Order: sequence, then structure tokens, then C-alpha cells
Amino acid sequence: MSSEVFISLIMPFREKLYRFALRLLGNEEDAKDIIQDAFVKVWNNKDKMGELQNLEAWCMRITRNLALDKLKSRKYRVTDDLERAGEVPATHHSPHQSTEKSDLMRRVHGAIHRLPEKYRTILQLRDIDGLSYQEIGEVLEIELSEVKVNLHRARKQVREQLQNLHVYGIQ
Amino acid sequence: MEYNNIRALLEKYWACETTEAEEAELRVFYAAHEEPLPADLQEAAPLFRYFHAEGEGAFEKKEFNMPELFTDRRAPWETAKETKIIRPFWQGWMKYAAVLLAAAGMVYSVNQYQLKLHGQSEETTAFRDTYEDPKLAYEQTQRALQILSRNLNKGKSQMEKLGYFNEAQEIIQGNHN
Repeated sequence: MSSEVFISLIMPFREKLYRFALRLLGNEEDAKDIIQDAFVKVWNNKDKMGELQNLEAWCMRITRNLALDKLKSRKYRVTDDLERAGEVPATHHSPHQSTEKSDLMRRVHGAIHRLPEKYRTILQLRDIDGLSYQEIGEVLEIELSEVKVNLHRARKQVREQLQNLHVYGIQ
Repeated sequence: MEYNNIRALLEKYWACETTEAEEAELRVFYAAHEEPLPADLQEAAPLFRYFHAEGEGAFEKKEFNMPELFTDRRAPWETAKETKIIRPFWQGWMKYAAVLLAAAGMVYSVNQYQLKLHGQSEETTAFRDTYEDPKLAYEQTQRALQILSRNLNKGKSQMEKLGYFNEAQEIIQGNHN
């Protein structure tokens, strides 16, 4: 496979992969590193690409695995720490963007980031990236039923937090 | 009517029964309706606006800045046309100096070779006759031989002295025996 063919196949996903890595890591530099590593890994496994049914899901899976490895190695699993979760929102936005973003949106962002990593990733893959259940299953290497159950729980938790927000006006 | 449809979709959404298209419809609806909505619809508004802003909205508004590293724009060295850099000739003076040095070396060696050939011819002329007149040549030769003979006789007289020592040595050896 020539580099031009490779680029034409992979480059369309680059933004989605980058955003995915950014959401997982919450840091632009780390996300860039991960995407670079992911592209190298994809290139090294380019012979397998012909056998794959969903190239995008495969790339996302590689990105996710690398991102999770990085999180483990750095020991900053931000999502599991409820106290620190509030600090996470908007880390990848510029101050200007952050100030523009409404307070409500930041609270939603915080609510999603307080979810366990598994739930949060599924919710983001579905509701932000628009992946099908099948694709999410391939990315996360889990069964379709597990995707549905976890997504249901994730939405339920987010809904509860949103309801609290509306009832009490605080979060 | 529209709100009823959205209500139905929301119910399906919370039950995880919506399709991707229906979820996209919800996101677009909330993103497009900034005005106050009925209370029951208001609950999910921030969530879907957030999803829209993070997903399709970021693409539409170009809020999302992709790092330069991952753009498919060609690198400068890939797009650059064949540019020919013209430098003044003196900037490459070393190559000209090298050519001159090589040329000088060749000229010198050819010259040396010719001189050598010429020198050999001069040596051969030493064996040629130097005199046109045979009589003069004879006289000159005779003179040279006379000088040689005279000097030889000088040496011979000295050698005669050596003969005395030789005779004395023989006499001594003879008495000894």
C-alpha cells in the first residue's frame, strides 16, 4: 500500500480520532502524541487493513487503547476521581472559548466527565461522534448488548444530574 | 405538533431506542431552538446543545482547530517547484581552483616529459663528432692522450716507490723461511 492510498483512507478520520483522543486525555499535546502513535501503529499494520470491515472503528480502537495506556502510565485517571472531575472540563479550550461557553454547557460537560470512563466513552461515541452500536462495540471490543446497557446507564446518570440541575439550580 | 414529535423522540432517547438519525434530529432541533421551550423539553436542552456543539457544531463553526501535524496539506518540500539556485561563479571558487591545479599539473608533466625527451637527445649528441676537421680531431686526441700518458707516468713513478717496500717484504719473508 502506498502512502498516498494510506493517507486517502486514514486522513478522513483524523479529526474524529483527534477529538476522541482529546476527550479521553483532556490534553492537546497528549492527544497529538497519541494520534501520531496510532497512525504509526495503523501504518505498521496496514497489511491487515484489507481484511477489516470497519477501518474507522479499528483506528478508534487503536487510539483508545493507546490513550488508556497513557492514562495508566501517567496515573491520572481523571474520570474515576469525583473530586477532581470538576477540574477537568474545558481543559482543551482556550480561555476565550471557555468564557464564551455558557455556564450551563460547562455544567453538562462536567456532568459527562463525572461519569465512569466506560460510560462516558460510550455516550460520547454515540451522541457526539454519532457511531452506531455496532461500531461502538468494535471500538471498545465489547458485545452489542453491553454497549446498549452501558449507554442506557450513562444516559440515566446524565439525566439525573440534569434533573438536579433544573430542580436545585446547582450542581 | 413538532414538540410532540420531539417528546416522543426524547422518550425513545432515554430508553436507548432511537436510531442515529433520530438522535441527530434531536441535536439539530435543540441547536436550532434557542428560544424558551416547554418545561418538559427544557430538561434535555443543554445536553443536546452540548452534543451538537461538541460534534457537528464544532465542524460547522470551525471552532475545532486541527493540529498542523495532521493536516493533509502537502509539505513545502513536496509542493516546491524545481528551483534552480544561481550563485555567482566565485562562490564555487574551490572547484575552479581544483580544475586549474589539475590543468597546471598536466601541463607541467607534459613539459617535463618533453624536456626529458629533449635531454636524451642532447646526451646522444655527446657521442657525435665534435670536430669537422679530422686532422684537428687527431691533434686534439693526441694532446688528450699525451696528458693522460703524462699523468699516468706520474702515477707510475709513485708506484715504483711502493716496489721497494714490496721487495723488502719479500726479502724478510725469504730469510724467515
